[in-house]
Amino acid sequence: MAERAGGTLPTARVRAEATEAKVVVRGLSVRYTSSRGTLTALEDISLSVQAGEFCCVVGPSGCGKSTLLRVLAGLIPCAEGEVRIRSDGPQRPLTAMVFQDYALLPWRTVLDNVAFGPENRGVPRAERYRLAREILAKVGLSGFEHAYPHQLSGGMKQRVGIARALANDPEVLLMDEPLAALDAQTRNLMQEELLRIWAEFGKTVVYVTHAIDEAVLLGDRVVVMTARPGRVKAVVPVDLERPRTLEQKGSAHFARLYNEVWQLLREEVSAASREAGGG
Amino acid sequence: MARQGGKAAAGRAAHPAALSVLSVLALLSLWEWAAGGGWVREAFFPRPSSVVAQFVVLVRDGTLASHLSATLTRVAWAFLVAALPGVAVGLTMGVWRGAREALDPLFAFVYPIPSVLFLPLAAFVLGRGEPARVLTSAVTSFFLVAANTLTGVRQLDRGVLEAAVHYGATGHRLFFKVLLPGSLPWIFTGLRLGLGFALIVVVAVEMVGAEQGLGSLLWLSWQTLKVRDMYVTLLVIGFLGLGATYGLERVRERLLPWQPRVEVRR
Amino acid sequence: MTGAAARQTLRAVRVDARSLAAAGILVAGWEFLPRRGLLNPAYFPPASQVVAALAEGLSAGELLPHVAATVSRLLVAFFLAALPGLGVGVAMGLSGTVRRVADPYVALLYPIPKVALLPLMLILFGVGERAFVLTGALTAFFQIVVNTMDGIRQVDPTLVEVGRNYGATRFRLFWKVVLPAALPGILTGLRLGLGLTLVTVVAVEFAIAKSGLGHVVWGSWQTLTTPRMYAAFVAVGLLGLLLTRGLKRLQDRLLAWQTSVDVW
Repeated sequence: MAERAGGTLPTARVRAEATEAKVVVRGLSVRYTSSRGTLTALEDISLSVQAGEFCCVVGPSGCGKSTLLRVLAGLIPCAEGEVRIRSDGPQRPLTAMVFQDYALLPWRTVLDNVAFGPENRGVPRAERYRLAREILAKVGLSGFEHAYPHQLSGGMKQRVGIARALANDPEVLLMDEPLAALDAQTRNLMQEELLRIWAEFGKTVVYVTHAIDEAVLLGDRVVVMTARPGRVKAVVPVDLERPRTLEQKGSAHFARLYNEVWQLLREEVSAASREAGGG
Repeated sequence: MARQGGKAAAGRAAHPAALSVLSVLALLSLWEWAAGGGWVREAFFPRPSSVVAQFVVLVRDGTLASHLSATLTRVAWAFLVAALPGVAVGLTMGVWRGAREALDPLFAFVYPIPSVLFLPLAAFVLGRGEPARVLTSAVTSFFLVAANTLTGVRQLDRGVLEAAVHYGATGHRLFFKVLLPGSLPWIFTGLRLGLGFALIVVVAVEMVGAEQGLGSLLWLSWQTLKVRDMYVTLLVIGFLGLGATYGLERVRERLLPWQPRVEVRR
Repeated sequence: MTGAAARQTLRAVRVDARSLAAAGILVAGWEFLPRRGLLNPAYFPPASQVVAALAEGLSAGELLPHVAATVSRLLVAFFLAALPGLGVGVAMGLSGTVRRVADPYVALLYPIPKVALLPLMLILFGVGERAFVLTGALTAFFQIVVNTMDGIRQVDPTLVEVGRNYGATRFRLFWKVVLPAALPGILTGLRLGLGLTLVTVVAVEFAIAKSGLGHVVWGSWQTLTTPRMYAAFVAVGLLGLLLTRGLKRLQDRLLAWQTSVDVW
């Protein structure tokens, strides 16, 4: 993976020195060359995320927010600009991703799915199962260790996805619209769960979503992106007090923040749908 | 075969299988009565009771056992000879595009050729004997296993693959922990079809050139006009096919508990 | 030509180039190994001799009657089986009663290698075309029955509900909803049926018939006229290729709404 070769590639994702922010993105651009010409997915993104921060990224569909996350994850190489992730423990993986469609291995039990990352890093069997059980308990999945993914509901599958990411103990937790496939009630429940889990584990999180209420409820800051090509349009700090609860969604302060983000996003969404309709 | 209708039917009839049992009993007694009364020619359609009697005779004198074991041995060997390289080639073609593109036209051409025709070829290489019969019976099964294995690798969910790589499954770990287990359901389908086809070709090969085996017993019973022997042999072959299909399906269910259960015939 | 089309064509050409290269190496090996004596030319004649035998057989008309015999048996058997197979399959798919009555026979007879029924056909009808063709027809029949039944039973019940909701009568429901939805399964059954019937017909020819490509392979094996044997072999391969690929393409065209899964 890219991080191991970080030193030799100036533009790749690298492990960074201990003095700066947890995640630093500078001048990142991603272009796809296809038969129809060059498509710029991300243009000149600069962003930094502090240790322990919950950073939400919102933007219209197709603005490249998932691409940004995949560059952070090392799944897409970054050709222009740089991505630095500060490493506080040399053995820890830089990132672990929670996927929108869960992406669990269907032939593995819940326990084996959660233990998958440590297993690949050579953690002994007893140790990784102990770790997996501990984390499963914390995400509320005790008793389901030996179930297979097809036996679980969407919300439970995503708890497994989150547990898998936490079990890998990454420097940064990446979440790609993790609740998008769930129904409204389950999504509310899971938002509360995420707040609780984040408070307990204290991870640095980069969280991509298209739901403004989710971004405002969860995030310390909300990064608003433009329609394609994706740029950072604005960063809205969220000063709602913590610990947060679902009830805060009813407050006037929440509504003000929601509106601020919505006004920023509004013209981008209509720009994006114009482009989709025209092209 | 999907049997989602089974549950609904259970509500109506006392037992869903009752009608099937009734149907078989009715046909057998009609047949028995018609043959006994001379309505159909017993030379062609012997009474079921006399077929059963002949079955007992053939079991008692060991005829059936020796032919059955000859056929089973051939099927087992053919299956083995087909399955191992079939899975290996299928996996290779699944992960290595060069192999896929190079072998595709050859396989597309050879695969539909009926296996029996390979008997002369196999005999040229191996001489007229048991190995040639086994190799002939393995040809089509090999392609079935390879084709299904290839499909198994190709249909793996891209998102799952991406996640697996992200969580550190690369190289041999990607192969043994992701590609292989992920394509197992398709490999099993290939094995099931391959086993069925091995039986088909073994019987055909035995009919045209073997002294032992159910196929040769069938051929002999035609040439000596022993119709009852023929019906007995056909029944045994039928149950063999049935057993092969469902047996391997049970094995699959046991080995792949992570799959939602689907019942299949074929 | 747009860039996309050009690129696609380029890729297709590249794939074909690789495949052609592989086929070329194979044919070259087939030509030179026997010539160098590394393979016994009595058993494995060089490719050029096989091609010559094939060309001569087709132009002099010696092979043509055999091709015609195999093809006509195949087609007669298939069409004899298609209508009854579709009828029984539809009935078993729609009615639980019919299914439970007929299921034991289908379950027992479907996995029987149909070549095994040849001796029975020979007893019933004597050695001749009727027995050969019927053995082939039984192959297609059971394949079509099973796939048609499964196709109909796998029709999404919500589609039927939608049809009912929009006022379709039983008759219209069948023609407008159930049948189109089951069509992929039905066409697959017809396609597999035709392919398997070729297997049976050739095996029957190999075993007993005095004409057809299967018989040519058998006869040339016995007399060790190997170029002719391989010529018949290649002819069967081409016939099979034509059937499998051609029908698959036809099915994909008829079912443009379906994403196609390709296995040879």
